[in-house]
Formats: sequence, structure tokens, C-alpha cells
Amino acid sequence: MRAEDATLARLMASSQKGDKRAYAMLLEEAGKWLKSYYRRRVAPDHLEDVVQEALISLHRKLASYDPERPFLPWLAAIARYRWVDHLRKLSRVKETAIDTDFAGAPEEPAIAAKLSLETLFAKLPDAQASVIELVKVQGFSIADASQASGQSESLVKVNIHRGLKKLAAMIERE
Amino acid sequence: MTRDTDQLIAGLVDTLQPASPLRFSRGAVLAFGGLVLAIGLAVLQYGIRPDLMAGHPHAMFILAGGLFLLLGLACTVATVAMSNPRVGSDRNGWGWAAATASLLPLSALAIALIEGQSAWLASEPDHGVICLGISLGLGLIFAAILVSWLRRGAPASPERAGLLTGIAAGCAGVVAFTFVCPINSIMHIGLWHGLAVTLGAMAGRLVVPHLVRW
Repeated sequence: MRAEDATLARLMASSQKGDKRAYAMLLEEAGKWLKSYYRRRVAPDHLEDVVQEALISLHRKLASYDPERPFLPWLAAIARYRWVDHLRKLSRVKETAIDTDFAGAPEEPAIAAKLSLETLFAKLPDAQASVIELVKVQGFSIADASQASGQSESLVKVNIHRGLKKLAAMIERE
Repeated sequence: MTRDTDQLIAGLVDTLQPASPLRFSRGAVLAFGGLVLAIGLAVLQYGIRPDLMAGHPHAMFILAGGLFLLLGLACTVATVAMSNPRVGSDRNGWGWAAATASLLPLSALAIALIEGQSAWLASEPDHGVICLGISLGLGLIFAAILVSWLRRGAPASPERAGLLTGIAAGCAGVVAFTFVCPINSIMHIGLWHGLAVTLGAMAGRLVVPHLVRW
């Protein structure tokens, strides 16, 4: 383990125990590492989004780090997974754009899905439901959703993250 | 770092909860428990095969059961390890175990090509269908354990995780039902037991990735 890795591994082990100070330092360093990782892999206008998505993944998958192993290979695996996911999303965006060109497509499934989503959204706090509706249903960008909802861009992301997590749990229970 | 990312970090720090690290040993113990449970259910429901009951297991029980057990073990180890992702980790040992275990269905295929219809009858198809169904059912228990473990972790390759989960579950089901199935012919084991592992692998590859993406 290199010195930098050993320090990060210690911070991560403390974070897993709930040490918020160590976690803040870890996320700061991980953010810098991720920025440098993605700089050569994604378009500049997507860079910050992908870094933030990787940080959220790090947060969600904290338990998957084994403190007896080096930290950076773990972070690199998270970063790579999010990068692949980003590429898939980009390709899906293109597919959706092509699909919507077909005028007169049956709308019933979309309406049913929306009704079902609205039922679920009713169980979420307004701040979370509104940004999920804007970004995931209506296709707003994070920046546009931020303007429309009056929430900061990072808050929009946090609210989407928390809201979708709750939605997933609700759907699993139903 | 931009202001937005700083705010995101502050939000994530704010919601930090202690997280118990996923240890490989714990996943392995859970998987072992799943196999014991599957064997227990099979034996309790259908009774133990006569040669085992008499304390004189047939050589085919040891050979075929052992090959499927080794393949299942190799795939289980690789699957459990996938919950703790890291770049540079390479667990391809299961491929050799799969190649070795594939000798059973390949032998059955060779015999079928030589003997034709009599080989099909030797596979005891009536009992074979039961073997196949019950093995897959028992394998589902094992698959559920592996999938729940993967969902807690961060498998970096959901497709491979799905394939390995399916093979491991198929093998676990077959191994469990081997304690019950009294038929020792290579045609029966190669075709029906091999088919259970193959179908398990296909189902795992198709279904599990959707369950373990993160």
C-alpha cells in the first residue's frame, strides 16, 4: 500500500465506523482523484456530474470496501463502473430521442406508468418528489430542475438519490 | 472542487451511517449455510439415497457430486468476492472447474451419438425431469442467498456476477439432489444434472444482472 493509499484506507475505515470528519476528508480526496480519473474519459460538460455520481456511489456502497485491502483499487472499480454506466446512459438518451419521433404511439403505458409513479410520489416528501418528477420523468437537466425547484444542483442530486432509494424500497415492498 | 460538489459532499457527510464492511468470510459462511439447507431440505423431503444410507456410496456419487461441488465452490468464491470490487482482481479459476465438470455432459453426448435411442432410455428421462425440476428449485435457495449478498455489495460486472450466480446455484441444487437421486448412469448425470447447471447459468445470466445493478 502506498502512503497516499494507506492514508485513504485509514480514513475509509474510520468512515465505515461513522467518523464524519474522516469521511469529509476522504470524500474531498476521492473527489480530486475522481476528477483526474474522469478528465480523460468524459466530456468536460459531463465531468462534474460523473464525479458527483461516483461520490454518491461511494456513499451508497461504503460497506463494500474491505478495510484490509488497498483503497484506490476499490475506488477505481467504483469509478470505472460509473463511467460505463455513464456511457450506457448517453447511448440510451439517443435511443429515447429516436423513439419519441414516432408520432401517434400508444400513450396508455406511459399514462399508466405516470399514474403509478404519482401514487408513489404522494408518499415522498415534496422536495424529493418534485425533482424526481422534473429530472427522471420530464427529462429536465439537473441545472434546469435546480432553477425550476429553487433547490441547489447538489441538493437536487441528493434529493433524487434519497427519493429514488425510498421509491425502490416502496416498490420492493409492494 | 466546485461549490456544487462541496455541497454534495457536505450532504453525504451529513447522512453518513456506520457501515459494517462486507467480509468475504461472512459471505462464504452464508453460502455454505445455503448449501447445507438445500441438502437438508432435499434429504428431509425425498429421503437419502440407498447406497449412502448403507454407508457405501457409489463411485459415481463421489465423482459427479465432487465435480459439481468443485465447480459450484469455484463460482461461489468468485461471486462472493465480487461484492468487494477492486481493479486488478482476477478470479478465473471457475473456468477450469467448468471445463472439468463439462466432461460429464460431454461423455453423455458422446455415448448418445454412439448408442442413439438406447442412450436416451438409459438417461431415465421420467426421473430426469424430476431431477431437473427439483435441482433447479433447490438451486433457487442458493441463488437467493448469493443475490442478496451481491445486492449489499458493489459487483462491478453484473453480467458476470449473474452467470456465476446461476452456475453456482445450479451446482448447489444438483449437489443437494445428488444425495437423493439413486441413478448412477453417466447418461442420466451428464444429461439431466448437467442440464440443471446449464439452465441455472442461463437464467442467472439473464435475470441476476437486473437485480444487482447499482
